[in-house]
Amino acid sequence: MSLTQDRLEQVRMVRDSVAAVAPAGGDLRRIRALRFTTPGFDRETWKIMCDMGWPGLRVSEEDGGAGFGVSESSAVAEELGKALVPEPLLAAAFAARLLSGAALERQLSGEQLVLPAWQERAGAIEPGEATQWHDGTVSGRKMFIPMASGADAFVVVLADGLALVQADAPGVTLRCDATQDGGHYGTLTLDGAKAERIAAPPGAVAEALDEATLATAAMLLGVMERAFELSLDYLRTRKQFGKPIGSFQSLQHRSADLKIQVALTRASVEAAAASLDAGVDARVRQAVVSRAKARAADAAMRITREAIQLHGGIGYTDEADVGLYLRKAMVLANQHGTAAAHRLRYAEMMPEEES
Amino acid sequence: MNDIDQLNQLDDDGFRAAVREWVQQNYPAELRNPAKRLHWRDNKAWYFRLAEHGWLAPGWPREYGGMGLSASKQLIMVDEYERHGVCRTNDHGIVMLGPLLIQYGTEEQKQRFLPNILTGAHVWCQGYSEPNSGSDLASLATSAVLEGQEWVLNGQKTWTTLANDANWIFVLARTDKTVKKQEGISFFLVPMDAPGITVRPIINLDMHDEFCEVFFDDVRIPAENLVGAVNQGWTMAKALLGFERVMIGSPKQSAYALSRLRVLAQRMGVWEDAVFQERYTRFRLDLADHTALYEVYLDLLRRGEMPGADASMLKLNQSELLQRITDAMMEVAAEDAGLLEPLDGNRELNPSGLFLQARPVTIYGGSSEIQRSILAKNVLDLPG
Repeated sequence: MSLTQDRLEQVRMVRDSVAAVAPAGGDLRRIRALRFTTPGFDRETWKIMCDMGWPGLRVSEEDGGAGFGVSESSAVAEELGKALVPEPLLAAAFAARLLSGAALERQLSGEQLVLPAWQERAGAIEPGEATQWHDGTVSGRKMFIPMASGADAFVVVLADGLALVQADAPGVTLRCDATQDGGHYGTLTLDGAKAERIAAPPGAVAEALDEATLATAAMLLGVMERAFELSLDYLRTRKQFGKPIGSFQSLQHRSADLKIQVALTRASVEAAAASLDAGVDARVRQAVVSRAKARAADAAMRITREAIQLHGGIGYTDEADVGLYLRKAMVLANQHGTAAAHRLRYAEMMPEEES
Repeated sequence: MNDIDQLNQLDDDGFRAAVREWVQQNYPAELRNPAKRLHWRDNKAWYFRLAEHGWLAPGWPREYGGMGLSASKQLIMVDEYERHGVCRTNDHGIVMLGPLLIQYGTEEQKQRFLPNILTGAHVWCQGYSEPNSGSDLASLATSAVLEGQEWVLNGQKTWTTLANDANWIFVLARTDKTVKKQEGISFFLVPMDAPGITVRPIINLDMHDEFCEVFFDDVRIPAENLVGAVNQGWTMAKALLGFERVMIGSPKQSAYALSRLRVLAQRMGVWEDAVFQERYTRFRLDLADHTALYEVYLDLLRRGEMPGADASMLKLNQSELLQRITDAMMEVAAEDAGLLEPLDGNRELNPSGLFLQARPVTIYGGSSEIQRSILAKNVLDLPG
């Protein structure tokens, strides 16, 4: 399921457009300045990202989006990962798939930021279903909402549909816990919070959730690639015993193994994106997304962890950029499901081809 | 228009169906998934069947008696053969020598050697590795000296696959000791019945004699048996590696081993075990991701591009995955892992055999250590 040359060109163009928010040369000053602040990202930059059309990459053109495929949205997520961009694009794009009409328009323009509230326990890969709708209100608890303090509203996944809850509505409490990457997770407690029902076609939540999971894998790919590049640069320049440490065979062989992990992750993520673009059925979709996320999570943790080792002592300082990549991986590796959870789902969903 | 021209005109799906049907109807059932590499005496019936059908040389141009298939169709053919468990033949003439002669040989050499490969009259083996030149192949020491109109060869080759079946050998030999090691090597065609050649089979850990040592003791061959220019041998041999570099990383070996692991686990009663299932699923995922990476390189070949040094990732990753799977077989098989013969008289239930056969895969064709060094230096640009 490889892409045509025209399609590859389109993916390349979308990928290149990320330069709009990722400074050349990997400058991370903006990212460092935003760490551990509230809301942890910059609304101006978010507006630029909306002007580029990114929250609506996967929204159809008639609904005001770009109508692009998963291969394009993966490419953007990967580039954002390389640059450690903190603006919550993946979550906002997920929410956009569930909105329509004026709410969607405001989401795509950046006028209002709606984030998805789907998860009710740690480690979940399916939406929690305990949050209840009652007479124009919702009650329940949703967890692990990235950058939740910057949201104007939440699209809350219920057992039988969706509800839109404004962040400042009565009955809404948001607790934020800082995360290693400088952002935070919000826990949303809804106690008879005023809400409006929103309609989404059957299967829309599962599909959008799978795409967000794959985008997370793509972002991890970007994270590991950049951490690996930084490490290779260091191996080429750092000298000990009178030569560059990259000339030592033990470090060369370790680097070769990491290169294979990057290549496998890229192949897995891109193959999954191509499968989704080809419209595979829901079981295969879940299987290939799980495969990509399991690989990306394990590979990103391994590469960023070894990147610290390859850097030696300097790698353990906050001043060295490589640590930012490890701490991003620590958050993303388990977001949208652990590697173990995804391996299990893969085994359930993917029929074995008899040889 | 004959059958082969028609095959060339089919779309990929139609071609795949045609290959599958023909293989199912013509491949000898008793040769499916052989437990060991087959000797000429066992695989020649299939070789001749292919020859008779005109399918022996998929990649050679039509004018030389090949099928003239596109890269894409050749890959489909390999895929269908592997799916059906088709054995390898004594194919060095077809896979290695033929393409080299077509590109670098004289018209006379092509006329003399290509038809004999296609009829099976000449069975070739490859004389590259030497006892002191394994990973560092370019350091090879077998010498060729021109005396009048004859080249005189002296030295020793080793790991020569199926030399005990061959009546011809193509040899890399040193023709200049004064230049950089890669620039003093030439390529020769040598009949195995030439006086001074001795072949000694090597019994491997799987108790099989697929590899041999070949000794050259004042072996004299006519000057016209040199291919290409003097000292061009290394360049020619390397130029044809692109396709091989990818093929050697095919996921099929691991896929086959994994299918055997499944059957073995069922036989041993651990298939439902959660710990086994977790391990098995990891293998499935590793195999699926490897296959996706392999596909990336197949796409490159289909577009007519030649893969670079980064393709060594495929061989390295596949061979180590194969070993992890066969390691698991050893554990799952329990005491039966130590048996000399396949289990239950079923050649496809052969854990100890597969485990042993997985040993050389990380050694031949550039050991895993060499592959890692190639990746580090030529792909990751790390300092020498």
